[in-house]
Amino acid sequence: METLLLIAILMPLAGAIAMGRDEQSARWLSLAVTLAVLLCACVLAAAFPIEGPQATKPFAAVRIPWPDASIHPDRPPQSLPPHLALDGLSLWLFALTALLMVVCVAISWRAIDQQVPLYHRLLLILETGMLGVFAAQDVILFYVFFEFTLVPLFFIIGIWGSEQRRWAAIKFFLYTLAGSVLTLLALLAVVLWDYFHGASGRLNFSIPLLAENLQQHPIDPQWQVLIFLGLFAGFAIKVPLFPLHTWLPLAHVQAPAAGSVLLAGVLLKIGTYGFVRFCLPMLPEATTKAMPWMLWLSLAGIIYGALVALAQSDFKRLIAYSSISHMGFCMLGIFALNRLGLQGAVLQMVNHGLSTGGLFAVVGMIYERYHTRHIADLAGLARRTPILAFFAVVLALSSIGLPGLNGFVGELLVLVGMFQRGWAEAPQPYAAQYRVIAVGATLGVVLAAWYMLWMVQQVFFGPLREPKPQHAEHDAAVRDLNVREILALAPLAVVIVWIGLWPQFFLARIAPTLDPYLNPYENISKNVFRAIPDRQHAKHTEQPAEHRQLDLRDCPDSTAALTRQTGAGAIPPVHSSNLQQTD
Amino acid sequence: MFDIALLLPLIPALPLAAAIVIGALGPWLLRDRSHVPAVAAIGISCLLSLLLLWSVHQEISGSARQRPAALAYTQHESGGSAADHGVGDDPAGNRNSAGATAVGFERIVRLWTWAAVEKAGLAHTELTAPEPANAGHLGADASTVHTPTARPAFKIEIALRADPLTAVMLATVTLVSLVVAVYSIGYMHGDRGYWRFFAYISLFVFSMTMLVSASNFILLYVFWEAVGLCSYLLIGFWYQKPEAAAAGKKAFIVNRVGDFGFALGVFLLWTTYGTLDFHDGAVPGILGQTRLSGAAPFVGGATATAICLLLMLGACGKSAQFPLHVWLPDAMEGPTPVSALIHAATMVTAGVYMVARCTPLYLASVEAQQIVAVIGGATALMAAIIAITQTDLKRILAYSTISQLGYMFLALGAGTLAGVTAGMFHLFTHAFFKALLFLGAGSVMHAMGGVIDIRCFSGLRRIMPVTHWTFLVGCLGLAGVFPLAGFWSKDPILVALHDQASTSSAGSLYYWLYIAGMLGAALTAFYTFRAFWLTFYGPLRTPPEAGHHAHESPPSMTGPLVLLAVATLGVGAAFGPTRLFEQFLLDTPSLEYARALAEQAAAGTGAHVGNDAHGAHTAVALLSQAVVLAGIALSAMMYLGRQIDPEKLAAALDRAKLYTLSYRKMYWDEIYQATVVWPAWIAAQISAALDRLVIDGLVDLCGLAPKLLGAALRPLQNGLVQYYALAMVIGLLLLLGALLW
Repeated sequence: METLLLIAILMPLAGAIAMGRDEQSARWLSLAVTLAVLLCACVLAAAFPIEGPQATKPFAAVRIPWPDASIHPDRPPQSLPPHLALDGLSLWLFALTALLMVVCVAISWRAIDQQVPLYHRLLLILETGMLGVFAAQDVILFYVFFEFTLVPLFFIIGIWGSEQRRWAAIKFFLYTLAGSVLTLLALLAVVLWDYFHGASGRLNFSIPLLAENLQQHPIDPQWQVLIFLGLFAGFAIKVPLFPLHTWLPLAHVQAPAAGSVLLAGVLLKIGTYGFVRFCLPMLPEATTKAMPWMLWLSLAGIIYGALVALAQSDFKRLIAYSSISHMGFCMLGIFALNRLGLQGAVLQMVNHGLSTGGLFAVVGMIYERYHTRHIADLAGLARRTPILAFFAVVLALSSIGLPGLNGFVGELLVLVGMFQRGWAEAPQPYAAQYRVIAVGATLGVVLAAWYMLWMVQQVFFGPLREPKPQHAEHDAAVRDLNVREILALAPLAVVIVWIGLWPQFFLARIAPTLDPYLNPYENISKNVFRAIPDRQHAKHTEQPAEHRQLDLRDCPDSTAALTRQTGAGAIPPVHSSNLQQTD
Repeated sequence: MFDIALLLPLIPALPLAAAIVIGALGPWLLRDRSHVPAVAAIGISCLLSLLLLWSVHQEISGSARQRPAALAYTQHESGGSAADHGVGDDPAGNRNSAGATAVGFERIVRLWTWAAVEKAGLAHTELTAPEPANAGHLGADASTVHTPTARPAFKIEIALRADPLTAVMLATVTLVSLVVAVYSIGYMHGDRGYWRFFAYISLFVFSMTMLVSASNFILLYVFWEAVGLCSYLLIGFWYQKPEAAAAGKKAFIVNRVGDFGFALGVFLLWTTYGTLDFHDGAVPGILGQTRLSGAAPFVGGATATAICLLLMLGACGKSAQFPLHVWLPDAMEGPTPVSALIHAATMVTAGVYMVARCTPLYLASVEAQQIVAVIGGATALMAAIIAITQTDLKRILAYSTISQLGYMFLALGAGTLAGVTAGMFHLFTHAFFKALLFLGAGSVMHAMGGVIDIRCFSGLRRIMPVTHWTFLVGCLGLAGVFPLAGFWSKDPILVALHDQASTSSAGSLYYWLYIAGMLGAALTAFYTFRAFWLTFYGPLRTPPEAGHHAHESPPSMTGPLVLLAVATLGVGAAFGPTRLFEQFLLDTPSLEYARALAEQAAAGTGAHVGNDAHGAHTAVALLSQAVVLAGIALSAMMYLGRQIDPEKLAAALDRAKLYTLSYRKMYWDEIYQATVVWPAWIAAQISAALDRLVIDGLVDLCGLAPKLLGAALRPLQNGLVQYYALAMVIGLLLLLGALLW
């Protein structure tokens, strides 16, 4: 399994290097590679343990030789924790990436006819980056892959995009880069805090180890807030959270279809993924403090995104703003900080990737046929292209959360989680706010039906209206989807129905990883500012077995230190002098 | 005799299989034979539903369970009963219905776990039950049940239930569906989307049967939306017509508003009860044996009222009640069999079913009950007034459906057991006569070449005798003329209101609702027969679209008409006066709880419900017959004998704008346009402008800042060596100055 994970991540890179100059062979090579990666991802998902002690451990862990630094050089070198692995949080996002990549190669087959090998090369490099982000169990690797995804997408938008592609590419690149620089600082601050205050005294980059250590030696609250803000800068832009979203519609509109699919389907998830991966376990106090703010911003995004979507006349802009609305649901679920909300949010990330990614693919197919993105130019396409209309309606219904399809499950869990937070688990001064947020978010579901059905009705139903063909070769009647295009969309539809009918299959693999993330928030309803639980409680009952074992085995001294501290029962004082060094 | 656990899942499974088969094979293999799988599947489902009905009946009577007169309400053995009924682990879900304290008859069939989030809820002790409803009666001791346990899971199973209420609904739905499916063979013949139609119909039957057999609120909600989807697809079936596509969208969105309320209600149920199951599981179900036997309380007070009203909002959307009724008349753009099946007989009654199912919740909130009744009464009257002046035959019937659904809610809101059973009985009979009327209208439309405006044709009895006679039966049934179906079901509603008016604390409210019901009955008779006279009497006129040989419809269409006419003639008298329907329904757990409560209340006050009021009931029946006949007579005078000129009357009424008010449907569409659609649209435009100008403007401004800084500093580097030299000298001087200072 370890080899398989490594192969899945590195194969696209190898494919990109090996790619020749011939256009047709470039397409086939690209398809073969992405299919192989998808196969790997499927095998990994199938082998993923559901229950038992294995379920909470990182799966298919790969260890990479890594320099080991220590403030105690006399200690024996550490056996290194995994640097690449999958767990419940990343498994389905990993698989989603692999799936959407195949779709992207398929829909680019004819749509991209210039510099084809370069295009596929960039696409494959991008795949390595995206898979790497989700598999990284290490701060440095995570950040490298995180930035690594920007470059190929920058070129994809900038070279193969529409009329304003340069402007869109630059804005996308600079906006996200500006945020992620601060994220880097924040991540380094976390690592250095652990280095100076942690029991191991080592330079730890491993995310699970950091999470474990920081629960025992929590970061100073003021620093938590600063670090949270740094992480927020990068991740919230990536999500994008209102009001940091304006790069998204532009990038979506200008990007080629595959670029939009990947942007909406995978890259936005990195933001929400980052919040879950870093903020929740490492910065519990800051997260608790930020909770009402984040919830309000999420709600604003849900309502505002839906309203703006209602006013759009351009397909891609409409779907882009619907993305903002849907990602608001993900954020809402995460910062509901309970099991229902968090599991729903993680599932909703996958759902959004499937439905919105699929919708962008459909729009790309329409664009390929009519060369227009204006909703008003088209009507009654169900007559001319019934299969296309079928997929569009399925994807739209999935996007508006129709029961029986995937979107419903995620939204349901998120909303129930939020209601749970508002009615049953709210700390007193916040109860009214949280209830307003819960009800407002439910209202967003109504708006979603409005704009989505408006678009579907305009474009696919009513009397047939098509723009005049611009070129003579397009004069022939527009054809319906061919086999390639059907095969590109069918897997999405199958997974959409699968998640809709049997979400437990997916949730069962998500839950064991996520549950420990919520330990610091168990008592949040009791007192909002005392979020960190009693350390003994946390230590003895709820920690994932793997982390503890690593800790004990690798750092014999830390056990002693820990017992000393728990025996003393006091939180070690924060040395501000040490903090200075982290700057 | 027949295993319920096998029958129950098969009933929805068969239509689903048919929908898949037609969807996969329809366009290229089945084509004109697409109806075969659909009709076969629905037919077998119908048979199985009747078998299920019979099995449930056998189980109830065969087990010889005597209904415990005073259940466990007074001296509750709550601990014991909670343990007995905590049978959530029983995989088959078979419960011995003859158990000593079992409330009603129910059987749960669990299929698979849809989603489960462990430890999601609050521990039992934290589940708030500060205001137990009916505390005086039930007096449940919370401490015995509310022992601290582990946090309950948010566990949603695909669980179906069989009880009398479900069995009756299943039989009604599948029976009407079968008739309509057979009718559609003739009606939809030659349509381009023939296979699509039958695929959708099968999908609808699947969804609707699942809806009525679901045993938790999530599943109920899922299929609540699924039938809405089928409705959307079928209203927009002829999607090339812009009106059809717009009507479909409107139906879906208005329903979404209702579903918004429903969803909020469900979420509140979760936060209040910590489960969403009807039946008992690890946690006492919301409508489970533990609660119904009085061992655990229902939450009362403001929470109960909020839950009930939110659920009612959902019911308003689905059952087209005021103020969410606006979608149903537009839904008539769909094919007529769809109007008959979905928008008259089955789907729109889902709201009634849901409220009836949740009777115990409504019993916990008197306010909610009264609001349900007021909404029902207002809708019944308002829709009847609008129906008087409409000229589209199908829309008249649509408003009539809204009005009749209003009657059902009026009955449910009466808050008595008699009201609930009367409402359900009206649902049952209404399904037959309204489907009959719609199919009759479809037959007319078929012959008239798609024209359905009653001003464009008349005297059709000469060329369409079968349609004429069956339509007459339907009209009599709808108007509630003795001894047809409508009489037997509408009369108990009025009786229930009349009883409430004399016994309830809110007597005057129910008295006014009773009067509204009477008035509505007169109006119903009037508009029904107005449409009838105008369509079938007078000189023979046909629109040009009908061609020269307008003729009676084929047997595949008249057959179902005759069958439904026979049902309309028979079902009322068969089940009404014999009280078979009512007695059977009473074994539903929710209703048996209501009965026990009512008996307890009666025992408390020493009154006896029902018998001494017999004289008053006869008077109600006679009065209703009188107003109905008056309505029919008035319509005959206006449209048959022309003793009164309708034009003049309309003009006279219009002096107070009354005619226009009715003709323009009380301006509801305009009101919504002005209060919801335009404000939302304007908010959307403002947000979009805000997004473009302000938020993105700020971002671009930030992006511009380095550029501006560069532009400001650029003149410094101008390439003139003298300039640099000057700068160096100035810098040197400054440095020297600073050092010497």
